Amino acid sequence: MNGDERGTDVRQRFATLCEALRPDLLRFAFWLGRDRQLAEDVVQEALLRAWKSFDALAEEGKAKSWLLTIVRREFARSFERKRHEVADLDALVAAEADVLAAEDDAGLAEMREALFRLDDEYREPLVLQVMMGYSTQEIADQMGLQRGAVLTRLFRARARLRQELGISVEPSS
Amino acid sequence: MNCLEFRRHVSAEPSASGAGIEAHRAECPACARFQDELRAMDALIGRALAVDAARIHKLDAAIAATEIAARRPRWLALAASIVIGISVGLALWISLPRPSLAREVFDHVAHEPDAMSGTAVVAQASLAGVLDPYGTRLRPGFGDVTYAKRCIFEWRVVPHLVVQTPQGPVTVLLLRHRKVSEPVRLAEQGYVGVVLPAPRGSIAIVGRDQMDLDGIARQIFEAVDWGD
Repeated sequence: MNGDERGTDVRQRFATLCEALRPDLLRFAFWLGRDRQLAEDVVQEALLRAWKSFDALAEEGKAKSWLLTIVRREFARSFERKRHEVADLDALVAAEADVLAAEDDAGLAEMREALFRLDDEYREPLVLQVMMGYSTQEIADQMGLQRGAVLTRLFRARARLRQELGISVEPSS
Repeated sequence: MNCLEFRRHVSAEPSASGAGIEAHRAECPACARFQDELRAMDALIGRALAVDAARIHKLDAAIAATEIAARRPRWLALAASIVIGISVGLALWISLPRPSLAREVFDHVAHEPDAMSGTAVVAQASLAGVLDPYGTRLRPGFGDVTYAKRCIFEWRVVPHLVVQTPQGPVTVLLLRHRKVSEPVRLAEQGYVGVVLPAPRGSIAIVGRDQMDLDGIARQIFEAVDWGD
């Protein structure tokens, strides 16, 4: 295989990975930053960084975790580069209403808004656990926390969602 | 593992399993149901998080690619062209096997037996808090509501009411998400019930098996304003 063919093969493998994982990366970035413009920018930059260091990915089976880590770092960098204005939550919800919309399912739309309003420290581990399927240890590693702290955040995240939505899950018996 | 330890554990990890978890589930049905409810709530959270990526990806890809290419070395621009060329539009839907509607309804009613025994009428504001997000109101003639909560049912949040009737308390679940083409009759565990097609979805009405449910169900059905 000559250099050009090898380059083409690498590009194709990278493109295949991106095609499969980009929707999840966009969703992750969206729930991280609660801003679709920011999510789009962060994922764009993250994928460019990923391409640059694609050789460092030893196992393509670990690509999702690898890319999520890059997205998370890129998200943090975006805050270093630019001081994002802290908008009030009602304005954020209104701005992203069409992403949060769930036609014909009021309960789903309410859950999305409740997740949107959840504090960052609770929302991120919940997203990693429920949407990305991470174990609590993997979340701890990703967020640089002790596993116990992750468990506490997950416990509180669900409690807040239940409280916010008035959902009853406690058996009365 | 005692009940408190179990509930702390599964509240952080509803999908948790293992010898300790399974042993406690086997000896404590209330805790098993608690975990099942949390798992159902997690399914709802999962559906909520799975927003349509195409709605996030609103930028004009061509413009974005041009901007990136202008400020990046050529090899990065090449990477950008790969990235930008990727189409998105994946919509995730959870497709898990579902127990029968009758089983779900009875399990839910049996899970909250104390809901049927209350006699204090729910304050109008509390009732509105349960029904308003659903776009639903109760017309006069519905009867006194002695229980009103929002519950997870089939991975959705649904209003769960108990209304007092001359023949005793009746459980009402408003199931906008669940369409039935004809009435579905239920009878099990000392309960009788019916799920009726409604203007939006369906309505499940369950009472004790000694009552004449048809007349009560008709009265309740007509007293629900579905907001259409």
